[in-house]
Amino acid sequence: MSTDFIAEPMARSFRWRFGRGQIEILIALLAALPLVVFVLYPLWMILRESIHHPDGRWGLDYYDLYIRDPHFRQALFNTLTVSFWATLATVFIAFGYAYALKRTKVPGKWLWHSVILLPLFAPSLIQALGVQFLLGRNGIVNRYLGTDIDIYGFWGILISNVLYGLPHAYLVLSVALSGADARLYDAAKMLGAGGFKRFSSVTLPAARYGILSAIFLGFAINISEFGNPMVLGGDYNVLATEIYNQVAGQANFHLGAVIGVLLLLPVLLSVVAEKWIARRQTTISAQATPYRLERSWWVDGPMLFFLGGIAIAIIAVMGVVVVASLTRLWPYNLSFTLQHYSLDVPGGYGALWVSLKMSLMAAAIGVVVATMGALIVQKLSSRLRQVLYLLSVVPAAVPGMVLGLGYVLAFNNLSTPVYWLYGTVLLLSLCTVYHYHAQAFLIATTGLKQIDGGLQEASQTLGASMLHTTRHVTLPLIGPAMLSISMFYFMHSMVTISALIFLVAPGTTPAAISVLLLNDAGNLPQAAAFATIIMAAIISVILTVKGLAWFGGRFLRQRRVG
Amino acid sequence: MRFKSVAHAMALPMTLMIFGLAMISISTAHAGEITVYTSLEEPEIADYLVAAKKDMPDIKVNVLRLSTGDLGARILSEGNHPRYDVIWGWALTNMMDPRVQGLLQPYQPKGLARVPARFKDPNGKWFAPTGYMAALCVNTDRLKRQGLPMPTGWTDLLNPVYKGELVMPNPASSGTGYLQVVSILQGLGGEKGWDFLKQLNANVAQYSKSGSRPCSMASTGEYAIGASSAIVAMQAVRQGYPVKMVIPREGAGYELEANALAAGSPHQHDAERFLDWTISDDAARLYGKYKEIVGIESASDVSKPTSGDMPSDVKKMLFPMDFNQSMETRPATLARWQKEIEHH
Repeated sequence: MSTDFIAEPMARSFRWRFGRGQIEILIALLAALPLVVFVLYPLWMILRESIHHPDGRWGLDYYDLYIRDPHFRQALFNTLTVSFWATLATVFIAFGYAYALKRTKVPGKWLWHSVILLPLFAPSLIQALGVQFLLGRNGIVNRYLGTDIDIYGFWGILISNVLYGLPHAYLVLSVALSGADARLYDAAKMLGAGGFKRFSSVTLPAARYGILSAIFLGFAINISEFGNPMVLGGDYNVLATEIYNQVAGQANFHLGAVIGVLLLLPVLLSVVAEKWIARRQTTISAQATPYRLERSWWVDGPMLFFLGGIAIAIIAVMGVVVVASLTRLWPYNLSFTLQHYSLDVPGGYGALWVSLKMSLMAAAIGVVVATMGALIVQKLSSRLRQVLYLLSVVPAAVPGMVLGLGYVLAFNNLSTPVYWLYGTVLLLSLCTVYHYHAQAFLIATTGLKQIDGGLQEASQTLGASMLHTTRHVTLPLIGPAMLSISMFYFMHSMVTISALIFLVAPGTTPAAISVLLLNDAGNLPQAAAFATIIMAAIISVILTVKGLAWFGGRFLRQRRVG
Repeated sequence: MRFKSVAHAMALPMTLMIFGLAMISISTAHAGEITVYTSLEEPEIADYLVAAKKDMPDIKVNVLRLSTGDLGARILSEGNHPRYDVIWGWALTNMMDPRVQGLLQPYQPKGLARVPARFKDPNGKWFAPTGYMAALCVNTDRLKRQGLPMPTGWTDLLNPVYKGELVMPNPASSGTGYLQVVSILQGLGGEKGWDFLKQLNANVAQYSKSGSRPCSMASTGEYAIGASSAIVAMQAVRQGYPVKMVIPREGAGYELEANALAAGSPHQHDAERFLDWTISDDAARLYGKYKEIVGIESASDVSKPTSGDMPSDVKKMLFPMDFNQSMETRPATLARWQKEIEHH
């Protein structure tokens, strides 16, 4: 939609020098270059691993071998089944949650918003541990209610994946629901549409793009999530753990690469499907009047109940880990202690500094990369745009372990110009930036999609330059999305594990990896303690940023008034 | 003019990124520094490094610790561009992988004569001063509540009363799991071993991906019995969980923890000194604190297992493993295990 009006004036001014096509290609190349280096190249190394035989031959033998294996077919079936249900549940709950916060007048919005983001603050491993402490065979529920619940397998993966996916889907959906044009609702009302009719004919279509993004994102996360099935999957094998079996268990990179490549397929399919449906996205037009929220306890009451239920579930899972870290020996000795906070991992608290440094770098690089990417993709003509778009969302389909493997194969190689990156904290940051690129890019795109081209056009017609329009119209409008992106990156870098085990070097081991190591060693209380420290660190950084933003805003307003 | 502004808009982020790149210092080990990849446990590593620093004050040892499987993937993926000098305390079965062997260079550390033949490679590419063995973690609290008898070995675990209370590591993803399966197969011989594994499978609740996880599940009382390794079991006991370590009376399978010098080690001289140190008396003295198996002969008097939970005649309980056979038959064994046991 925005292609023509931006490209047209741009092209007009350059026509004397370049053709419009060349300019576009130049800009597209600039945006594509980092994606090629940090996404495509490592992926190519993986693809190569899956079709290149040790004797130098090329062929699909590994695929053939694997697809014939009933073991693999079972894992594939399990993956699709559990991902389907988990995605459905995640998007359904996240939509209700986002709707309650954006379209009703429930009290305590700040609180509800903070709670649903909690799962982003801790390594997913820890949240799986929380589910185990609560619902495991010797969990709180079974022990104190005398029940005999066994969640290992399908239900364990489903519950923990839904919890893990919720904040991701919520972030996308709440951006999609945050803007609404009151005129449409007024019109619908005047035409006699009831509450439900208004919801189905105005709200849902307007949020269509966000819902599809959330489904796509949820599916991609579910399909590649690895920590949860490791802890709670029991014998319910899924592809993400199959990769672990092949790569870490049997050092069989070829088959690991095959699974990695096969995992890409369903995600590519869902991208294509999404493009097909979302071709016509409604936007907030420049004439929109903001939607006025009205209190209606018929809606707000049940919504509050719903929010409370979800929030309690999240707090219980995260909270039980914090409690476990403060008890002498969960679940046998529940007396209070701080002893687990004296970490006896080499590096100890130093790992936290590595994490902070890496995460701040990832946030800074990531917000630039994702926003620029979304801006550029939006302004390209359709074919180039589709290529770049695909390139931007592909990382969501890549399991961390596969991406990490691709990074080592790609960057620990003297023939690579950026060989020197290997072993640096910067590469850890870059790996995280591109591992989560799809999510960040989608947040930015969803934000941009809702800005009507008319606003930008008006600005340009009035003689504002591209830069001016970007700075004074586009950026302020996607400012909230940009803040979300940098926060998103910061949090993910603090907790990400799977891709990094291939890239950490002595002295650059981030805290989340230390948690993994502690958990590996069976030292659950210390793992819980370190995870709590990570959560505390993330929360304090976020509060600091929010505080600064608040004071900054006040300062600017005062100065303007003065 | 507009082109200029587009260029500006693009230039800012680009400059930021280049600036960011420039700020990064490249982290490589300098002279007097070596990089060591290991799968030993954190507490022991810390202890060893303090002693090593005392004996070799001029060498700074940078350690990267990963679990056995993760480290294997890391080593193989770095391939011919190793970023490490030494592999320290890594499962021998993994090190015997021909692809890994190709990345090592032979080195005979000082005092290697003290290491018995079965603890070192005839070609000189590895030597294993220490080892660990399989053990069961039994949660006494859960045992009592479920009214179950205390098992003494693998054969006891065939008893149907344990159905759904036993967790084993998946041999396809865990070295500990593989050594348990191999010790049963080698102990009973061929088909008898497979029959035994099939019967055992009837009681197994789940096969975990990692080797330490069965014990950690038994520790928290999720299941009554977790088949793991002695080192993990002793740690659970030390932490105070209601866990008893049981060494299977049929004989415990074990794994050796091997050391080796990387081919193309960037700091070979210092790396060699470190390898010498790993079989020195000072090191051997420390091994007794953590290891049930120490492959340094004169060390037997200086290193007695000090943990109260470890039987003193531990060497007699070891099942005589055939590592060459265990390595060579690994793919076939795992394929059969997955076909006949995991998916049965």
